[in-house]
Amino acid sequence: MASSIQESLNAALASIGGWITSGLEWLGGIGRIGGQAVLRGLRRPFGFYDILYQVVALGVRSLPLASVMSIFIGMVLTWQFGEALIGFGAKNAVGQAAALALVRELVPGILALTVGAKMSTGMAAELGSMKVSEQIDAIASLGADPIKKLVWPRLVAATISLPLLCVWGNVLALAGGAVIADVVFDVPSDYFYETYVDELWPSDYLSGLAKSLVFGVLVGLIGCYQGFTTKYGTEAVGLATTNTVVATSVSILAMDFLLTTLFLPVQ
Amino acid sequence: MEVVYELKSVCKAFDKHVVYQDMSLVISAGETLTVIGGSGMGKSVCLKLMLGLLHAESGAVLFKGDEVSALDYHGQRELRRRVAMVFQGGALFDSMTIMENVGYALREHTSMSDSEIAERAWECLEMVGLGADRAILTRMPASLSGGMRKRVAIARSIAVRPEVIFYDEPTTGLDPSNIRRIDEMIRKLQRELGVTSVVVTHDMPTAFSVSDRIAMLYDRKFPFVGTPEDFKHHAVTEVRNFVQGRISDGAQR
Ligand SMILES: Nc1ncnc2c1ncn2[C@@H]1O[C@H](COP(=O)(O)OP(=O)(O)O)[C@@H](O)[C@H]1O
Ligand SMILES: [Mg+2]
Repeated sequence: MASSIQESLNAALASIGGWITSGLEWLGGIGRIGGQAVLRGLRRPFGFYDILYQVVALGVRSLPLASVMSIFIGMVLTWQFGEALIGFGAKNAVGQAAALALVRELVPGILALTVGAKMSTGMAAELGSMKVSEQIDAIASLGADPIKKLVWPRLVAATISLPLLCVWGNVLALAGGAVIADVVFDVPSDYFYETYVDELWPSDYLSGLAKSLVFGVLVGLIGCYQGFTTKYGTEAVGLATTNTVVATSVSILAMDFLLTTLFLPVQ
Repeated sequence: MEVVYELKSVCKAFDKHVVYQDMSLVISAGETLTVIGGSGMGKSVCLKLMLGLLHAESGAVLFKGDEVSALDYHGQRELRRRVAMVFQGGALFDSMTIMENVGYALREHTSMSDSEIAERAWECLEMVGLGADRAILTRMPASLSGGMRKRVAIARSIAVRPEVIFYDEPTTGLDPSNIRRIDEMIRKLQRELGVTSVVVTHDMPTAFSVSDRIAMLYDRKFPFVGTPEDFKHHAVTEVRNFVQGRISDGAQR
């Protein structure tokens, strides 16, 4: 009896150990590919055309999704806060209440979790199929550097695109909130707008932007790393892609928590 | 004869899976060496070791006397200008036109202008028998047949006039007339460009028609190396079985 408990305890410890080891290996791999991309990317030529191409592919094509997500999160959150504030007879404060949560947290967070996850899975699928069909080896065999050609432009493009989408998302979330305030709670939308903007300091916008910048880096690194480490076979591409969704969302939430603890005491 | 590649006691493993154990092989200038062996035994790995795309755990992979895995950035670029590889399935870049594919290495290695690159790409396509219609330059790889994709891949690899060309299963999955076409092309390029060729295949007719020498991968090394004549009447049962198309269980292990 005691020995079997001992055995299963050992097995559990071993599997936790294996889990931690592979997690650390994964983080190390992400760090390595990021370091290589920056070191080689900052050498001439910078590959502006490739970066621009990726900004269009990743950023511009994500505009519809980013817009829809932002409008809805603005509406939903304003509705929820409005309901809560009516109870205190303070529905006019709905603008102040929604502003901080949306700008500091929800717009960057939700956009990273949806648009960002879409970007990183797209990268993992594209690079994964390039890996499986030996196109990545072919780039190297022709004397070019796959990290510079493939990772660098995607990393830069994701890092630029996500904050820009976040700025746009802030505008739409505010608009969505104003519509709900006016229609549902009878708070005039221009009043909502004034109280909303009044509540915000530049540092609030900046912390939101800083978050989406960091999320953009994460999205680019995870997408590229998952693609480059795809094993052989077409089913491996599917596996790499689904793993990427999980890896991206968990990393974004963990990073969000970290950044929140970093930014909040400033207020 | 001058030695181009020398592999000495190479060991290569992926985690616990040992692909090569104490493997040695010599490739001389101007010859066409064919590597045969069952699938999944490490033929592609051998080519990638010689290009520095993979690194051996121990042993030496020497290109004209220089250790491939010890080359610096410029040495490695130089190696990959002089040695080209035609990948299994072609590995053409899906998002680029045929001209951009064939001109890729020229853009990397030379300062040729766009029109010069287009001209050279066209020359290479003519050399592989795709010179019938200039419209091919602007087509995408997905719109080509398997045989054409293989030939475009060959054109891409000869664009920088390499000294050595590796062909990874150039005829696998093609119909007989395309197989004969590719075989002829390999011989023609060797004659006209004087290249050294390493052809990986498990297609015996191809091996017999293009090779000066054949090396058979068996038990994680190349124990059987000889001329096509040697292989047609080999004394060892495993070799005879492979050549006659009966891949015995022993050959897989
Ligand atoms: N990059 C890699 N990572 C892990 N295993 C690999 C890798 N490349 C090849 N292998 C393994 O090495 C063995 C030999 O592969 P390969 O050289 O492609 O065989 P083939 O003789 O068919 O060309 C296979 O079992 C394959 O799974
Ligand atoms: Mg192979």
